[in-house]
Amino acid sequence: MQGVAIIGAGQTRYGDFPDLGVKELFAQAYFEMLRSVDRGLDPGMIQAAYIGCLSAGGGFQLGQLAPLLMGHVGLPGVNAVRVENACASGGYALFNAACAVASGKFDLVLAAGVEKMRDVSSSKGRYWLGVSGDTEYERLAGSTFAGIYALMAARYMHQYGLKREHLSMVAVKNHRHAVNNPKAQFRREITIDQALKGAPVAYPFNVWDCSPTSDGAAAVLLCSAKMAANFTDRPVYLRGFGAASDYLAIHDRDSITGLAATRKAAAEAYRQAGVSPREIDFAEVHDCFTIAEILAYADLGFCEEGRAHHLLEEGVTQLGGRLPVNVSGGLKAKGHPIGATGCGMACEIFRQLRGEASEPSRQVKNARLALSHNVGGSGGTAAVFIYQGGGQ
Amino acid sequence: MGAHISIPMYRRTVPQRYRLAGQRCTACGRVNFPPKAVCRYCRTGTGFDSVRLSGRGTVYSYTVIAGGGAPPEFSEEARCKGSYPVVLVELEEGPRIIAQLVDPPEEGITVGMKVEAVFRRIYEEEGVIRYGFKFRPV
Repeated sequence: MQGVAIIGAGQTRYGDFPDLGVKELFAQAYFEMLRSVDRGLDPGMIQAAYIGCLSAGGGFQLGQLAPLLMGHVGLPGVNAVRVENACASGGYALFNAACAVASGKFDLVLAAGVEKMRDVSSSKGRYWLGVSGDTEYERLAGSTFAGIYALMAARYMHQYGLKREHLSMVAVKNHRHAVNNPKAQFRREITIDQALKGAPVAYPFNVWDCSPTSDGAAAVLLCSAKMAANFTDRPVYLRGFGAASDYLAIHDRDSITGLAATRKAAAEAYRQAGVSPREIDFAEVHDCFTIAEILAYADLGFCEEGRAHHLLEEGVTQLGGRLPVNVSGGLKAKGHPIGATGCGMACEIFRQLRGEASEPSRQVKNARLALSHNVGGSGGTAAVFIYQGGGQ
Repeated sequence: MGAHISIPMYRRTVPQRYRLAGQRCTACGRVNFPPKAVCRYCRTGTGFDSVRLSGRGTVYSYTVIAGGGAPPEFSEEARCKGSYPVVLVELEEGPRIIAQLVDPPEEGITVGMKVEAVFRRIYEEEGVIRYGFKFRPV
């Protein structure tokens, strides 16, 4: 296998952009990515593009979104394909791009993601979000993704003594992290009282336990490690990448207090990287609902199963702690434009590992190894990546 | 706009929805529900005997879907009731299944609570009322 390096990354701010469609959002991220390549890049050198997207703008472009977007930025001839695994679409775009470079088939590959969620009515939005789970049974029980994660949370509370307050601690932490991130959708702190008293969504969740609907795009340029020096002296190496699936429906899984797909993907990424969880300096994890971040701590090996809420109590995962998690604000506060999310995590890590977090106050200091974790739906799929910087 | 379960798609699952038709793996003897092509327990068995599940089980986990959080095809129900509980039930025969809970106890739902399946109206789409199983406390 060839080594894989990230030599450029860009993303839009996440949020509500009524004047921008999928093409415009994609172009913004793409051009920011091009500008970030230290020695510049002739775009004609890009050989392939994997673009994550769930709904293609609420279904307006059901097929062949990738060539539409690449044509929009002047690269109509590039081998381009849309990748879909619900909320992990961006992560799988990155995974496929990494495999394409590692295989030696290509040396320069674009991994990107885009989602336009704010155009559609809330009823249509809930339709789109609810049909990536088990439609025949979960959905006919009247449940949504929030409901499925809520079942995991209620079981976790029963089994491990997790309290409602612990869920809110995730929301409060991630909102605090987002304040200084110019790319984040919600740049404001919330108090624990606020987080405890939001409008109910699905017990035990209230609105503050849920990530928002967002517009946004992200783009990452992967290069074979041997060629990276042509473009930058400071590449970020993709040391390990893993992806795995599980039964789609919650009723088919043995355990619902963890995601088997995450565990398997993480094991694969750690093995490839030759790295243990203790060596990770910071992580961007998939907190679509507050419980998802709590499950991720154990699934990624940061603690034993059932111990995750103690990491929150001890402040381990806040900025300044031993293992900051979601310094971007996470899906909760940075935002969650479905197809973009997995690539947006890579953008955050690329900047952080190069010491380029836009506000000094949110820079993770002395970090060398980072991890990102992107989940499809309620854990039907997951992708995990381990990154190594060359120092700040 | 609701999740579109077409009438033919719905019809194909009528044995499961009306009669809780499961399959017993002839290789390992365990019971699958909903049906699989390969047994979800031994992951090798492909032969099955049809078995009707008792519908008796215990609550493995639960949630309460609030009015604003319901899928569009359930929003009318959520509006009328304010919210409705959804339970993940572990059946006596082994499999877990997900469905709404009717007549929730006033003192609240608890993990481990005994429930039984009942036949109820689920919702209406394309002019056809869809029926299926829900659970109620024993």
